[in-house]
Amino acid sequence: MTAAIEAAGVAKQYGSLVAVEDLTLSVAQGEVLGVLGPNGAGKTTAIRVLTTILEPTRGSFAVAGVSHRLPAEIRQRIGVLPESAGYPSRQTGEEYLVYHARLFGQSRASARATARALLEDVGLADRGHSLIASYSRGMRQRLGIARALVNDPAVVFLDEPTLGLDPAGQRQVLAHVRRIAGERGATVLLSTHLLTEVEENCSRVIILNRGRVIADGTVAEVVRRAAAPRSGMLHVHPEHVERATAALRAARGVAEVSRANGQPGALQVVLGAVPGVAVDTSLNAAVRALLDADVGLVSFELEGARLSDAFLAMTEGS
Amino acid sequence: MDVAGVPVPARRPSSGFAVVVEQELRDLWIGGRGLALMLGFSVLISAIAYLTATNTALNFLEQRESVNLTLQVAVAVGALLALLAAADAVSGERERGTLESLLLTPVRRTEWLAGKLAAALSLWLVAFVVTVPYVWFLARGVGLVGNALATGFVVGTLIALFLASVGLVLSVLATSNRVSLSVALLLLLALFAPTQLPSSAQRGWAGDLLLRANPVTAGEHYVGKIVVSGHAWSEDVSWLVSPMVAGIAAAILVPLMCARFVRLGRGVGE
Repeated sequence: MTAAIEAAGVAKQYGSLVAVEDLTLSVAQGEVLGVLGPNGAGKTTAIRVLTTILEPTRGSFAVAGVSHRLPAEIRQRIGVLPESAGYPSRQTGEEYLVYHARLFGQSRASARATARALLEDVGLADRGHSLIASYSRGMRQRLGIARALVNDPAVVFLDEPTLGLDPAGQRQVLAHVRRIAGERGATVLLSTHLLTEVEENCSRVIILNRGRVIADGTVAEVVRRAAAPRSGMLHVHPEHVERATAALRAARGVAEVSRANGQPGALQVVLGAVPGVAVDTSLNAAVRALLDADVGLVSFELEGARLSDAFLAMTEGS
Repeated sequence: MDVAGVPVPARRPSSGFAVVVEQELRDLWIGGRGLALMLGFSVLISAIAYLTATNTALNFLEQRESVNLTLQVAVAVGALLALLAAADAVSGERERGTLESLLLTPVRRTEWLAGKLAAALSLWLVAFVVTVPYVWFLARGVGLVGNALATGFVVGTLIALFLASVGLVLSVLATSNRVSLSVALLLLLALFAPTQLPSSAQRGWAGDLLLRANPVTAGEHYVGKIVVSGHAWSEDVSWLVSPMVAGIAAAILVPLMCARFVRLGRGVGE
């Protein structure tokens, strides 16, 4: 099966400034790929190169099976929501979508039908005849997603789609992202700063730093590879706290043990900060140490910010 | 490794130009800016026509002179409007953040630029239509109406084509909309400046060359020869060479050659 996106050694330089140094990746059809990276990592430039807005300085890529040497053909098969996209304030939502559908070669009638269906899909059917100037930021982002879908694309690029949105707006936009992949079967490349967005929505993640891919895999694989420390909250019987603390401190891979304030029997532990010891191994060692010490274990919860730990560990100092 | 991909035939809109022109005209005329500009133009041309008509009635001005003056103002202001609209065409999209989504469509950039140019020219065409009744009123009775309107239309269209094309170049290359509009206005002033030179400076080979080489002054001079001096179209056709070459060449070459320079901006994205 042809990969939806395939890039080999793609680089983009502005004079002496290297924005993307060596982008090599392969994204399967139907995959939702999260692209993470600190500011200036090259995420937006990478997307602009892959969407043919910028020409690569070197390297080659294909999107939806089409070589980068045929940019117009790539544009025919992709949908893009650019970062901080602007909208013509004097057009209505429907006019805007009709115009873009016609630019993709649809007849007037077909463009109108596409626009109405997409407005319905993104929950803007009742505002289709209102001027875009009257739309909230969340509505504009949803309109931008609808515009990215006017040509029924095989690959959709979303650059920071939730930037500046309130939590409700973020939830709505992410629901649409999931629908694009789930119902339309399109490949989605989602660039974002919000790690939870990636954890909840992406089947795979890459981390870019200084124009290079420094991690690539599922969220679990990236976290494991990063060997980032993870913290957890442990509850034991209050009378076993001292024994549990001593056992954990002696366990390999446990970096820190401290009492959680105000909670009898609660201990905060930090795992996996030992070089060469994976987080999973540390976790097993900690549980085994508690069982060996005959500690009454009530609960052991690993805290959720797993990808953020890996992200920070990998991009530290950038 | 080279990622070759699969060669797939292009599927572009059959006429991206027509789609762009239609939307640009809608934005210009239904969005309100075009109508507001034309209202201003109508007020200006009304004032000019009133003043020239009253001066003619008082025998301060020849009837032919009043027609020529009104026509020249209409050509100058109509072409100015086309220039300003074209100067905003690309830099305005860039500034409003709407350029990237337009560049992401499969429409050829040449067609897109040509569509923008055509929409900008519509301002001149409507300005000319507005001018028609004023010229008819001022020129009636001396058998000048047809000739004056035809000359004004041809020369005005060539000058508007030239200026709008120049405006489009500025808009493609300018770093901001403000720069594009400011340079366009300065350029227009520079092109019209020779018409304000004293008659002595306009004589001699250097003055003649300056007037003939500048499409704006050459065009206005030609209109004067036809309307005021009553010359035949063929008599002073050499004055039409510069506006014709500049107008037609610019309108064809600018969309073709500027297409490759349409960019989001220098170093955009990082």
